[in-house]
Amino acid sequence: MDPNNTSYAVKLYVYDISKGMARQLSPLMLGIQLDGIWHTAIVVHGEEFFYGGDGITNCRPGGTSLGHPNSIIDLGTTEVTEEIFMEYLSSLGESTYRGNQYHLFEWNCNTFSNEVAQFLTGSKIPGHITDLPAEVLSTPFGQALRPLLDSINIAPQGGNTFNGHYGQR
Amino acid sequence: MADNGGADPVNNNNDTTVGLEGTIIKVTVKTPKDKEEIAISEDASVTQFKEEISRRFKAKQDQLVLIFAGKILKDGDSLNQHGIKDGLTVHLVIKTAHKAGDGASSSSSVTTQVGSSSGNSSGPSSAAHPSTVGSTGGPASAPPQTPNILTGFGGLSSLSSMGMGSANFMELQQQMQSQLMSNPEMLSQIMENPLVQNMMSNPDLMRQMIVANPQMQQLMERNPEISHMLNNPELMRQTMELARNPAMMQEMMRNQDRALSNLESIPGGYNALRRMYTDIQEPMFSAARDQFGNNPFSALGGNSDGGVQPSRTENREPLPNPWGSTNPSEVGGSTGTTGSSATGSTTPNVSNPLGVNSASLGNGMFSSPGMQSLMQQISENPQLMQNMLSAPYMRSIMQSLAQNPDMASQNPASSPSAGENPAQQLMMQQMLQMFAGGNSSSQTPEVQFQQQLEQLGAMGFINREANLQALIATGGDVNAAIERLLGSQPS
Repeated sequence: MDPNNTSYAVKLYVYDISKGMARQLSPLMLGIQLDGIWHTAIVVHGEEFFYGGDGITNCRPGGTSLGHPNSIIDLGTTEVTEEIFMEYLSSLGESTYRGNQYHLFEWNCNTFSNEVAQFLTGSKIPGHITDLPAEVLSTPFGQALRPLLDSINIAPQGGNTFNGHYGQR
Repeated sequence: MADNGGADPVNNNNDTTVGLEGTIIKVTVKTPKDKEEIAISEDASVTQFKEEISRRFKAKQDQLVLIFAGKILKDGDSLNQHGIKDGLTVHLVIKTAHKAGDGASSSSSVTTQVGSSSGNSSGPSSAAHPSTVGSTGGPASAPPQTPNILTGFGGLSSLSSMGMGSANFMELQQQMQSQLMSNPEMLSQIMENPLVQNMMSNPDLMRQMIVANPQMQQLMERNPEISHMLNNPELMRQTMELARNPAMMQEMMRNQDRALSNLESIPGGYNALRRMYTDIQEPMFSAARDQFGNNPFSALGGNSDGGVQPSRTENREPLPNPWGSTNPSEVGGSTGTTGSSATGSTTPNVSNPLGVNSASLGNGMFSSPGMQSLMQQISENPQLMQNMLSAPYMRSIMQSLAQNPDMASQNPASSPSAGENPAQQLMMQQMLQMFAGGNSSSQTPEVQFQQQLEQLGAMGFINREANLQALIATGGDVNAAIERLLGSQPS
C-alpha cells in the first residue's frame, strides 16, 4: 500500500525588517556587523506562515507589509499535506504559539519558523538567523535597550491569524 | 544514538505482531502541545509504534499522523526504514477526527488551496484615515485626552449648567454630552462660563472627574500611560488650556494631521499609524462613542501639545522639517528616556515624532510624557525607529554631533534650544555618544567628507571652510550642501 507520496516544497522567506538600516547602522550602534534584522516565514502549500505579536498568521507569499523577501531559502520538501499542516498549526497556535507569548528575543518569528521547518522537513533554519538575538544582546547597546526591546511585538500586517479553529482562515 | 545493527530483521513490513525483539530505543514523540518519550523496539513497524502512541496520548490510531524528516510515516513502514533511532524526535499530529483519514497523505483535496482566502487584507482599511488618526492620533498621550476631557468636561458642564450635582448625575452628564456634541456653539459658550473656567483651572478636580468615569478607568487599566498623564498636573493644565480655546484646538489638529502624514511617508510609518489606530484609538473611540453617541469632538481632547505654540494664535512657525533637526534629539530621547532633568513644560507632540517643533525639543526632551510615549510607540514598532533612523542624514549627523559638541551648537541641524542650554547640549551629546556605542568614527569631518569636498571644489565652490560647514550641516549630502552654500536653505 503505497498511496501517492506527493511532496511539497518548503521555503523559508527571509525579510530584513530594518530595510538595510541594520547593515549600515549596526557597526555604529552596536559595534558589530549585522546584515539585517531578520524576520522569517515559512512558505508551503502556496501560503506564507509566520508568527508575530498577533499569533500565527498566514497570507499569500510575499503578501505582508514587508513586501518581497530579501532572500528565499529552500528547506527541502515535505510530505505533510495541507490538511495535516493546518491542524498542526492550529494546535500550535492554541498552545505554544499564542500571540501573547511573543517575545522579541526568545520566542519570535524565527523560533516559530525553526520549529515548523523541523516539523515539515526535519531540518533547521540557518543559524545566523536564530543567533541574531544572542548577538544583539551581547553588545552593550543591546543590553541597554533590552527593557525597551522586551516589549516589542513584531507583527507584519497583511495576514490572517489562526484562531485555533481549524479551517478558519 | 544506540545503533545496534545486529538486531534480527524481524517484523519488517506488514507484520503487526508485537514481538519486542531487538533493542529498545527511546524516541521522543512531539505534538504541538507536548511531548513524550516512547520506548519501542527499533525494529518495530510504524503500526506498532502507533499503538504505543495511541495508548500514551490517548488517541485513536486512526487519528495519529507521524512525521519524521518531512516524511509521513505510513503504517506499513518500519521505523528503521525511516532512520528513526534512539534519541530522535518524531512529530505527531493528532487529527481532530474531521475526516477519518488514514494516518497519512493521500488526502488529495490538498493542493490547489493556493491563494485561497486568507485575506491579506490589504491593510489600509483599518487605518481609517490619516486625518482621523491624526486628530486623535498620538500614541497614548493624546488619545486618552479624547473621552477624557469631554467626559470630565461634560460632567463639569452639567454641573455648572444644572447648578449642582444631582443624584442623577450620570444621566445629566449623558444628556449634557449629547447636546454638547450636537451643538458646537454650546461648547464655546460653556467654556466662557467663569465657573467652568475656574474648575478647569483646577487640575485636581479635573483629574478626579475624569478618573471617575468608568470607561476611563478601563482605558487606564489598559494603558497605564494614561494614568501617568493624568497625574501630571502640567499636562492637565495644558490640556485644559487647549480645551478652552477652540481655535488653538484646530491648530492642534492640523498639527497632528500634518505630523501624522509626515509619519506616513516614511516606510513603515504607515504601519505605525495603523498600529496606533488599532491599538489605541479604537478602544478610545468606542469608549468615547458610547458616551457621546457620535464623536465629532474626538479631536478636541487632542493634545498635550498646548505649550508649543503661543496660545490663542494661529501657528506662524514654518512647517517642521520631518528630517531635520529633530532627529538626533528624538532618537537620543528615546534611548535616554528615563527622564532626566529638563522641565516638562513644553511637550513634544508625540504623534508628531518627526515634525516636532524644535522649540519644544530642548525643554521637554526627556522628561515629558510625550517623549515617554514616543518611546512606547517606538517600542511597539521597532521598524519605526529603524525608519526614523533611516532619514537620510541621520547617521552622519549623529556621528558628527557625537564627535564635536561645538559642531552641535553651531550646527543648525541640532535644536536651537539645545544649543543655548549647555547642560542639555551636553546631555544630548552624551546620548549620541552612547548611541555611537563603541564604534564612533574618529575621523574629522574634513577627512570624512573628503570626497564630497572634492566634489564641491570641482563644482566651483572654492571656499573650503564654507563647504565643510555646509557638508557637516547636511551630513555629507552634496546636493543639500550646495543649496546651503547658495544661500537657499531648506525650511
